Amino acid sequence: MIRFEKVSKAYPGPGKPALDNVSVDIEKGEFVFLVGASGSGKSTALRLVTRETRPTAGRVYVAGKEVNRLAGWKVPRLRRQIGTVFQDFRLLPNKTVSENVAFALQVIGKPKSEIRRVVPATLELVDLQGKGDRLPDELSGGEQQRVAIARAFVNRPMILIADEPTGNLDPTTSAGIMNLLGRINETGTTILMATHDESVVDQMQKRVVELDHGRVTRDEARGGYGSQVG
Amino acid sequence: MQLRHSFTELRQGLRRNVSMHIAVVLTLFVSLTLVGLGVLLNQQAVRAADQWGSELQITVYLCRDSDDNPACLSEVTDPQKQEIERVVDESPEVADWHTESKAEAFEKVKELFGPERFEGPDAALTADDMAESVWITLEDPDEYEGIVSELRGRDGVASIQDLRDVVGPILNSIDALKYAAIGTAAFLVLAALLLVANTIRLAALARRKEIGIMRLVGASTLYIALPFLMEALVTALLGVAMAAGALAAFLKFGIIDRASQGLTFMPWVGWEEYTVTVIVIGALGPVLTLLPTLLLTRKYIKV
Repeated sequence: MIRFEKVSKAYPGPGKPALDNVSVDIEKGEFVFLVGASGSGKSTALRLVTRETRPTAGRVYVAGKEVNRLAGWKVPRLRRQIGTVFQDFRLLPNKTVSENVAFALQVIGKPKSEIRRVVPATLELVDLQGKGDRLPDELSGGEQQRVAIARAFVNRPMILIADEPTGNLDPTTSAGIMNLLGRINETGTTILMATHDESVVDQMQKRVVELDHGRVTRDEARGGYGSQVG
Repeated sequence: MQLRHSFTELRQGLRRNVSMHIAVVLTLFVSLTLVGLGVLLNQQAVRAADQWGSELQITVYLCRDSDDNPACLSEVTDPQKQEIERVVDESPEVADWHTESKAEAFEKVKELFGPERFEGPDAALTADDMAESVWITLEDPDEYEGIVSELRGRDGVASIQDLRDVVGPILNSIDALKYAAIGTAAFLVLAALLLVANTIRLAALARRKEIGIMRLVGASTLYIALPFLMEALVTALLGVAMAAGALAAFLKFGIIDRASQGLTFMPWVGWEEYTVTVIVIGALGPVLTLLPTLLLTRKYIKV
């Protein structure tokens, strides 16, 4: 589903490359943690998948297509197959919960009837039924992240990318979010999650890919945050 | 569905940035008005030149029947005409020439003074009262002595009219006004372009978060850019409409009601030329706003 083939990424200016000859293959339906210290290249790897940036060398394949070779006008179509969740939620503050989720469908031109049908169902999936009319700042952090996940998942993408989704949340709330991501994974959605939250990685016991200074130092089928080292 | 979203965005965008949009509309209004004036003046100069001949032209009037000019004994004969045309054709000072028949001369007079006075049994003039003429365009406006001395006194030539002293200053001032209008307009057009660029920058900044999410969930570039393009189009159309109104007022009150009443010897621009002018500014206005918008949205909302 996602394949990195000897991918390197260097940003302009001096310093080490963000990614250095990385090769990783992620199957459809897998749940993969990308762990490592800040600056290890996790976010760069995620940005390569959504083609927000391009590799300096090597190839990135998403759903069988080489992302770097995609024509500019085809990039939106790629992104419709990928849901994205961030640490800072990125909700629109002047739109209600329902409107935030519906926005993702509106801007890709889905018909209103479909939006009316799909949005409440998705809010129910993330346990936010009855809160559709609230504004984001009337919700707790965990609830806001659920809205963000609902928005990422409402179009039923094949892949869900999460960049530190529990970074702003307390452990109990984080566990709830991880539970939700686990349920989404069970629907067949491939999940790639960058994190340095040890407890969630240890709790989930899923595949772990560790990056250190842009290099893969560990790729373990079922691991904890620091399995081999600790 | 998509269009409704764009219209909502358009309304919000226009309201959010209202002072900037007013600035853009006013700048466009003034610059397009000046461009329009330039276009009108250009057509005015063409009209004047059609009537009198341009600076480069001299006109040779041929003898009429019962001409009161002492140089004429009778109406010009065909051999005389052929001889005159040969001389003109062979002169190195002549770039181009054509003849004007009596009927053509009569049409010009009718157009200038209005046809009513030249129709029916009491007509002030008929085509037969007009003189045939040869219109010569010179290679160089300062070199005309040769051809003039060759033609002067030749059989069949009544007079040679060199309007350069009279027409020159008028055409020159029309030209000066035209260049002043277009020169000023050029600066204002630049100001309008920069204002549009700033407006887009502000709008993109205000909608940064939304645009980020739109890109993230796979909205197409056109979908994201459409509200910006529509804003640009609306401001352009407002500017064009205001400029067209100002030019119409200028034409009606300045030229049709005043200048053309007072200075009847000159052919003046009218609504036909106005239509051409409005087409020019109607095309220019949207280009001025859409072009920077297209360039900048590519930069600010790059997918």
